[in-house]
Amino acid sequence: MRVKHHKLLKSVWLLITYIILTLFALVYLMPFIRSFIASFMTWAQASSYPPEWLPSPFTLENYLKVLRLDLFPRWVFNTALYAGIIVAGNVFFATMAGYAFARLRFPGRDALFSALLALLMVPAFVTLVPSYIIVYKLGLIDNILGLSLLSLVHVSSIFLMRQYFLSLPQDVFDAARVDGCGPIKTFFYIGLPLAKPALGAVAVYQFLGAWNAFLGPLVFLRSPENFTLPVGLSFAFQRAMWTEYTPIIAGSLIAAAPTIILFIVLNKYLIRGIVITAGKG
Amino acid sequence: MKLTNFSLTLIKSKISKSFEKTRQREVLAALTLIGVAVALNMTFGYFAALFALYLSFFKWDYIGPMEFVGLRNFEILFRELVRGLHGAPFFLAPFYTGLRNILLYTAIVVPAQTILAMVLAAFANQKIRGVQFYKVSYFLPAVTCPVIVSLIFIWLFMKNGLINYFIQMVIPGFAPDWINDRNYLLYAISIVAIWGTSGHFMVSFLAAMQSIPRDIYEAAMLDGAGPIRRFIYVTVPMLKPMIVYVVVMGLIGALQMFDLAYVMAGPSGGPGGAGYTMALDIYREAFLKLRPGVAAAKSLFLFTLIFIVTYVFQKRFRVIAAR
Repeated sequence: MRVKHHKLLKSVWLLITYIILTLFALVYLMPFIRSFIASFMTWAQASSYPPEWLPSPFTLENYLKVLRLDLFPRWVFNTALYAGIIVAGNVFFATMAGYAFARLRFPGRDALFSALLALLMVPAFVTLVPSYIIVYKLGLIDNILGLSLLSLVHVSSIFLMRQYFLSLPQDVFDAARVDGCGPIKTFFYIGLPLAKPALGAVAVYQFLGAWNAFLGPLVFLRSPENFTLPVGLSFAFQRAMWTEYTPIIAGSLIAAAPTIILFIVLNKYLIRGIVITAGKG
Repeated sequence: MKLTNFSLTLIKSKISKSFEKTRQREVLAALTLIGVAVALNMTFGYFAALFALYLSFFKWDYIGPMEFVGLRNFEILFRELVRGLHGAPFFLAPFYTGLRNILLYTAIVVPAQTILAMVLAAFANQKIRGVQFYKVSYFLPAVTCPVIVSLIFIWLFMKNGLINYFIQMVIPGFAPDWINDRNYLLYAISIVAIWGTSGHFMVSFLAAMQSIPRDIYEAAMLDGAGPIRRFIYVTVPMLKPMIVYVVVMGLIGALQMFDLAYVMAGPSGGPGGAGYTMALDIYREAFLKLRPGVAAAKSLFLFTLIFIVTYVFQKRFRVIAAR
């Protein structure tokens, strides 16, 4: 009798669990679902009350309006260029630095590494104005390259790569040394090929970070044709480039698509990676 | 005998020389490998931070000569705070409004996102199907650009928008104009922030919960503890390190919130400065009012605030944990 009661209680509890989890899944997904549907509606329908859920008439006009804006393809290109530079810079330079901090011995190594880690505590707003002045002196304001200098080698990437190289067995590197490889050769022939999983993680995090970046591009890019998507979209919204809101929604979805698709494709890998970095922080 | 001794020293010195050479090569290689990384981080990290400190003692407009003004920039900052405390309106004391707003925002967002993340993780930490689906749905907001999230929510928060539609199912007649009403703007921004980060932290909590040994739960179950009591007396204490991590990360993020306010309230802070933040004020001082010295002073104030708040929290929490 008691067992039966217990079983009933358990299945009721399980039901509550599913209801709550699904309800919250809807809360988190609703803005995406709703804006996806509304992007195929006319503004009149998308703003109607109570909300309608089926586009009628079904229209691609919002997407066409976005694409007809000459600036939009430029924003896409700029964002991709910026993300590409940041990913390449972090993958290349952070891997080299991570390897050196993990596997080579040189005076002041650990002090220097701690000094770099301490930078993670400094808010972006403290270094923003001086960085602006430095980039200005270099003549690189309103230039993706100037903006890229700031996050070309992020400390978190160096940290991630160092931890990864530390986790590899020392024997592999010793063997290369015995065979007469110098430290740089060992890095390129042994370290780099072994580091592929961590390289992938750095590449994906930096891609997400660069694609979504706002403060840096807002400050360092001045003319609309040099904007990235986040800055461009907020500019288009504030200047009220379209009298209706639906093109903003369509543009937002286009801008968010690469990160959403990347996340859904790599979800297992990404979620695990973020948890691992969080645990170590 | 003498000869062997001599040759031995010769061999020894040769070995140490070649060892010395490899050592030198290693140092040289290391410097080459870390060169770019260290140079950039030193320039845009340490040099920039020290430069900010230097700037905070100068009056400057980016073009003319820099004028040493001592602590005047900090005086401007504190005068603004004092004026604000005496009830001066937003345009006379924007920094005070920014500080007040960001403290309220942090007080709402950090506890809400932490508790929500923990409760959701506890529900997901059972033998259920489709955990990955829930994780993916909860995590999606965290990988989406905050600017895009804000733009979508501006529309959802319109007077006749989707959010008011759902709210009216529960509370009939409650339909504020979230974005344009100074009494609701900051809450709208807070809701977006909670929506955007809680799922991310939920995944962190879930991972931490899954590493709690099962026998502790079994022992609690034998003692007759139900799921809610198991959560309070087993899960929460075991999660303490993760809670500290999530709260600290949340505090750091919330206190320098910028993107959501810039888009949802606008660069000028929305009606009556209702969505104005300290970060927004620093941005405006630096790039709109062209007072880099004042901006530097305010950014150092923000840095100090973040440092003190996270430090005090960690210290307090450790004391409570030790009891």
